Amino acid sequence: MNFSIVIDNIPLLLDGLWVTLHLISLSLVLGFMLALPLALIRHFKVPVANQLIWGFTYFFRSTPLILQIYLIYYGTGQFSWIRDSWMWVILEKAYLCGLIAFTLNTAAYTTEIFRNALDTMRKNEIEAAIAFGMSTWKAYTRIVIPNSLRRSIPPYSNEVIFLLHSSSIASAITITELTGAARYLYSKYYDPFTPFLAVSLVYLVIVFLLTYIFKLLERRFLSYLSINHESTKKLGDFGNP
Amino acid sequence: MTEYTLQAKNLKKRFASHEVLKDVSIKAKKGDVISILGASGSGKSTLLKCTNLLQYPNGGELYFHNEQIKFKLKNGLMVPVDNKQVLRIRSKLSMVFQQFNLWTHMTILENVMEAPVHVLKINKKDALERAHTYLDKVGILEKKDAYPAQLSGGQQQRVGIARALAMEPDILLFDEPTSALDPELVNEVLLVMRKLANEGRTMLVVTHEMNFAKEVSNYVIFLHNGLIEEEGNPQKLFNHPNSAKLNQFLNVMNKS
Ligand SMILES: Nc1ncnc2c1ncn2[C@@H]1O[C@H](COP(=O)(O)OP(=O)(O)O)[C@@H](O)[C@H]1O
Ligand SMILES: [Mg+2]
Repeated sequence: MNFSIVIDNIPLLLDGLWVTLHLISLSLVLGFMLALPLALIRHFKVPVANQLIWGFTYFFRSTPLILQIYLIYYGTGQFSWIRDSWMWVILEKAYLCGLIAFTLNTAAYTTEIFRNALDTMRKNEIEAAIAFGMSTWKAYTRIVIPNSLRRSIPPYSNEVIFLLHSSSIASAITITELTGAARYLYSKYYDPFTPFLAVSLVYLVIVFLLTYIFKLLERRFLSYLSINHESTKKLGDFGNP
Repeated sequence: MTEYTLQAKNLKKRFASHEVLKDVSIKAKKGDVISILGASGSGKSTLLKCTNLLQYPNGGELYFHNEQIKFKLKNGLMVPVDNKQVLRIRSKLSMVFQQFNLWTHMTILENVMEAPVHVLKINKKDALERAHTYLDKVGILEKKDAYPAQLSGGQQQRVGIARALAMEPDILLFDEPTSALDPELVNEVLLVMRKLANEGRTMLVVTHEMNFAKEVSNYVIFLHNGLIEEEGNPQKLFNHPNSAKLNQFLNVMNKS
């Protein structure tokens, strides 16, 4: 253990932390924006588009993230038409490749989270919306989507933490985010323990803060949904001896 | 020509091969309180839902203030031609549901303001005033900032009634409004409904509350096997039923 390694390299680690944070927040925002329309298309089973999106989410949810990153970073360089096109400006840049991979990956998971929430919306509440003269558009924008987004908070919070952890894979394509910075220190000082432990603590603190924020969101937006009351009953609540 | 707030002629409705409504006609003038009785599964909810087109019928005619709703037949189903007409008419028929069907992510106040603001497009200030008026009328104003899940069934149903009233509809449709309630909560809802009837509101009430039907409504319809088995004024129907089926139904209801 040699804490001076950490202390001497605080700027490097902070840079890494910064890269991690904006890589994941940007992919989360972009992924969220992609996921909502995709989930609606899945929910409404729009012909063709539904199958294509199903294929997309299936691929990104069933292959390892690191392969997805390699495919986007190295794979696209194999095709000369890509190398010769304007896309190359984007794809040759490791950061942007990482961003694209993370965005598509989180979009895939988030699409399925939202789709599931939309599909399990209580029919009662839609019935009331329609009975009061709302158009389908109104019923969705005012009732179904707001309600479904609230019910998506718990699985979505898992997705956010999952993506944070996955971001360490970005170091595999030379992005020096938090884990990448620790790996650099390891190779420089031949001490794996100190930098990796320090960085683990940083992840731990971020996850702790995220968990706290999501708990607050749940309390603010979810706690009073009756469905949630039912599903959060503990075994002890049933009077089982 | 008499003006009927709502009139349905020869309604037919089937689910697959199951004929739920075979040929049912009803009409409600302004101020009518019509009770609809019938055993469970006799098609009472389906009848109500055909009148506001939550269900599309398979045959028949529908009129609202003598204005005919335009349909085209599509695979045996009567599909409305004019979507705007349907939305407009639905906004004037307010429904109160058996399971309340409140919007769970909104407060009580938001529930009551929602449709006036977003369907009728009245401004927020007026909608707020309306919401206060009707929440007060059903005696639940003090719960305006609570969420539906925080209320008892009786309270939720009173909110359901306030939400319906806030549309200032021409007719109120009640689908077994007290059937999902614990017995001790039934009365608070029935009291509100009696008050509304006394104000002269037009109401179509599917109910198993025989006293309500007998004392409050001016017309009673008994549905059986997809047909109106017997209908008429409550005194006659309850005291001297013609049909053996109605007699039997009343005996069962009186025992429970
Ligand atoms: N959406 C539906 N799909 C298929 N069958 C239905 C549907 N709604 C109602 N039914 C059937 O129609 C019959 C009448 O139902 P309903 O109108 O709800 O009866 P009631 O309200 O008198 O109890 C029942 O047998 C019910 O199973
Ligand atoms: Mg029913």
